[in-house]
This record gives sequence, structure tokens and C-alpha cells, in this order.
Amino acid sequence: MPLRSLAAVLLLALAALPAASEVPARRVVSLNPSLTATLVALGAGAQLVGVDDYSARQQSAVRELPAVGGLFNPSLEAILGLAPDLVVLVPSAQQRDLRARLEALGVEVLELPNITLAELLASIQALGARVGREAAARERVREIQSAWRAVGAASAARPRVRAVLVLQRDPLYVVGRGSFIDSMLATAGAENPANVFAEPYPRVSLEWLIAAAPELILDASEDPEEPRDYWARWPSLPAVATGSVHRIPASQVTLPGPFPERALALLAEAIHPAPARSDP
Amino acid sequence: MKVLTARHAAGVLAVLALAVAASVIVGLAAGPSSLSVREVVSALLAPETQGAAADIVLRVRLPRVVLSLLVGASLAVAGVLFQALLRNPLADPFVLGVSGGAALGGIAVLSLGPAVGLSHAAVAPAAFAGALATTLLLGLVSGSRASPTSLLLTGVVFNAFASAGIVFLASFAGLNEGAGVFLWLIGSLSNVRADVTGWVALFLFAGLACALPLARNLNLMTLGEETAQQLGVDVVRVQRVLLVAASLMVGAAVSVAGLVGFVGLIIPHLLRLLIGPDHRLLVPSAALAGGAFLLLCDTAARSLLGGRELPVGALTSLAGGPVFLWLLRRHQQRIFAP
Repeated sequence: MPLRSLAAVLLLALAALPAASEVPARRVVSLNPSLTATLVALGAGAQLVGVDDYSARQQSAVRELPAVGGLFNPSLEAILGLAPDLVVLVPSAQQRDLRARLEALGVEVLELPNITLAELLASIQALGARVGREAAARERVREIQSAWRAVGAASAARPRVRAVLVLQRDPLYVVGRGSFIDSMLATAGAENPANVFAEPYPRVSLEWLIAAAPELILDASEDPEEPRDYWARWPSLPAVATGSVHRIPASQVTLPGPFPERALALLAEAIHPAPARSDP
Repeated sequence: MKVLTARHAAGVLAVLALAVAASVIVGLAAGPSSLSVREVVSALLAPETQGAAADIVLRVRLPRVVLSLLVGASLAVAGVLFQALLRNPLADPFVLGVSGGAALGGIAVLSLGPAVGLSHAAVAPAAFAGALATTLLLGLVSGSRASPTSLLLTGVVFNAFASAGIVFLASFAGLNEGAGVFLWLIGSLSNVRADVTGWVALFLFAGLACALPLARNLNLMTLGEETAQQLGVDVVRVQRVLLVAASLMVGAAVSVAGLVGFVGLIIPHLLRLLIGPDHRLLVPSAALAGGAFLLLCDTAARSLLGGRELPVGALTSLAGGPVFLWLLRRHQQRIFAP
């Protein structure tokens, strides 16, 4: 089977090449859960023919699809076996070689970074354009932007809250500067002291975090220990003193996806709780 | 061998104790946040005070200072014991693969434990088991009259096996555990838990309690097992006791700090150059000097990059690699002689 289907893939790919960007892709393999979720949200789920292991595990819509390997070790052979006309992925050192090899075999690859908010919006639009869902993508981006404006306007009048978003406790990773999460924090009324670090998700020392004296700790780690109990080890933290330590569901906030405005609403509520629920 | 006098020994240990004290002061005073010496001192003198300075000095720096002293001491003493027992100047928990075995055991529990209902508390026992199993394997494969070369080769092969096993297990674990696994492989003291510190201390002191009374026997055993036997040393018993003690020390150290490399190599050799090869002095000196060395490395690791952390294992291995090569070159004739 391999030789004949490989030849078929090559022929298909060669035939598709000249018109690659005009004809909507019909057989898409997604190698990143956020791109998978975006494709499903845009109504292009039926065009997906394969996903990475993480997408398959996380998202019920694609659970039945063939999985082609993890984020770091996708199988070239499994991808080719699905005869895709488009492979979408997020740039990473691990997937750079994969992209080169897929392109050498004539498979179109769309590489969509999703660190910043602008990149996230651009990836929604680029995916929409490539799978024939331009209108849905435009609509999605418009809704995200209007949610950003609304939350930004609501928080503008409130005092800024010094907040740190912890991605992982040990080793300690926080949200630094430039990511879409950093943008959500700023829009929702937080001042992120970790934006002194140029990286989007820096590994920081505990000592830095204590010296930064956050008034609010948003803990998105998956550690079973209750965030309140864990951070209470360092009672000088203003967030501990005032009880402003909250667990944030990582899957809903820290993974880039098609609905960042839901995460934004969650963060806005944590930063400035609605009056009815703010009693101590 | 120079005759060891009590006065000489006391002098050496006093100097090393002063070095430990100095490095404790550096470790408490230095860090990414700019606390003044006055703030550090007042936090230490009044532990019940609240405030960021107290949190940083008492609840961030102090536990790490204590843990790095204990881990450094355990690794250096284990290094001395392995070098003496295996009569191999290049023996070190890291080079021999004992650390790798401990890490493999620990990571097996970290990655597969949750699926079979094992909690984080099982990581340390699993690391002990890994260290002990590796030591037994080293003994089994190379036999009691192993040439230094075959021991080193066994260690190299086992290290490769352990790394492969760790990466294999890490592939099962999720992304979050992935970063933790990486830190285990390189060695880091960023995660300090009071409960594990107690275990490391317990095994270090138990190990020292086993090693110190047998130090004279170790001196005789460096002359060769048969000679030692003729001089009245129960060689097999000494070997068993000290190999188990060294493995447990390594297991405890690795279970909290991961694969901190080469401490067990640099420190014993530096000390042999400075104070001579008598194990009665070498064992306690290694505990003090190993602790001070790792403490200074860890202080550098958490201070050099501002608020960012550097894994301490990266520093010790950067320093240890060249030292290892230098030793290998120095001892080459002896090691590869028939």
C-alpha cells in the first residue's frame, strides 16, 4: 500500500499546487489543539481528516478522527497516509523539520503562530480563508474584538490590580510580556508585574514573585494542592493576606483557541469580582 | 601517607566549617531581589515578623540554603565512598549511573504513579530503590574484581539506558510534567519541601554514621582488597554497608534535586589534593566542602539571571565536565594499564 498511496499523495499534491490558495482545503490535518478547536468553531470540522494526540484527547468533536502523534513527535507517515491537502501547525523547533519534509513531498503546510492576540486573530482569519469559511472567521474575529473593547471599557474606570498568572508552580512559570494572556490581563484591569520579562512565558524564581508583591494570584497550574493552601506558605504576599488567590481552569484560559473572550470574561470576573459576589 | 594528627584534622575541619558558614552568609544575603544586609539580618533575628523580607529570607532562601548543603554533602560523601570502594578515581554517583537510576525510579513514579494511585510521596522511595538497584547492578555486572574500565563502561551504558527510560516515560506524561522532567534531568533545587529536607538530612547523617567508623578500613582497602583482608578488614561487609549507605544518600539527594552532576567528583579530588587521601578526614571534609560548593553554585543559579532561575545542575556540570576530563587525562595511564 505505501508506494501506491504515496504516489497518489504526490500526484494529488502536484495537481493541487498551482491552485493551492484558491480552492478550499478539503482534507486538513491539524497538529495543534488550538488550531483544531478553531477549525471546529468555524464549522470546518468535517474537513478535518486527522489531528494530533492532544486534540484527540481534549476535544470530543474530533475524538473519532485518526491521531497522528503528539505535539513533539508527529508521525510523517501517519500524516501522509491520510492524504491531506493541507497541514496546519504552530511553529516550534520540533515541527520545523516536519514542515520542511511535508513541503518537500508537496503537501501544503500552513504555519500559524499563536502567542500574541494579533497572531491568534490572524490565525483564525488565515484558517477561515484556507478552508472556505471566511465569513465565519471574520464574524469570530469581530466578536472577539468587540468583547475586548467592552471589557476594556468596563475595567478602565476601576483601579488596576497587581496580578500574577501562574502557569505552573514547580518549576515556576508565569505569564510574561506579549502573549494573548498578557493582553487579556491588561484588558481585564490587571497590571502584570511579570511583563518586565521579555518572554511570553518566563520561568521565574519564587523570590522574584514574593518581591513583586502581587495583590492577586491567578493559579492555572494543575497541581492538586489548593492554591490558597500552597501560596499561604508565604504570608507576606498581599494576595494571600486578602484571600485573593484563585484557581483558574487552564484549559479555558491559557490555551489559545477560538473563544478567547470567554477566558477574558473569566479573568475580568477574577480581577474585579461583580459586587454581588465580592463580599469576603 | 602522612600521619594524621588530631590537631591537623581539627584545623582542616575548622577551616572548612568556616567556609560553610561564609557560604551560608552569601546564600542568605544574595538573591534576585535587592534586600539590604540589614533587612536580611532583622528577618533572621525576628523570625515572627511579617513582610516580604521575612518571606524571602526565611521561607525562600533559608530552606534552599539548608537543602543545598545537605544535597551537596550527600553527593560529595557518596563520591568519596564510591571512589574508595571501587578503587576508581573517576567513580561518582553521576558517572556511575547511580544518580541516573535514582532519577529513573523517581520519574517512573512521577509519570506513571498517578495512573496506579501512587502519590508524590512515593517519588523519594522510588528514587532510593532506583539508586540501590543501580548499585547492585553495577556490582553484579562488573563483579568484585572489576577493572576500573569495565565499571566506567557499565556506568556509561546504564546512564544511556536511564536517560532513554526517562525520556520514554516523559513521553507518557503530559506537557506540564515534561518541564518537571527536564529539571530532574539537569538538576535543580527550586522546589523545596520541608518534609523531603528531613529525609535528605536523615540519610546523610545515617550515611556519615556508617562511613566514619569504617574510614580506617577504607584506607586499608585502597591498598587492595586482599591486602586489606590480610590486615583484618571484613572487606565484604564494609563494601556492602558503605555501598548501601552511599546509594541511599544519592537516592535521597536525587529525589529532591534531580541529576546534579559531578559534585561527587570535583569535591573529593580537590580535597585529596589539598588535605591528602586519609578517609578519616576526607569523609567529614567532603560533607562540609560538598555542601558549601553546591550552596554557592545554587546561590549563583538563582541570582545570576535576575528574576529568572537557572538550574543548578547546569552550573555544576559545566564546572565538572572539564575537571572530569582533566582527571581522566591524569589517571589515564593507571586506568588503562593492564
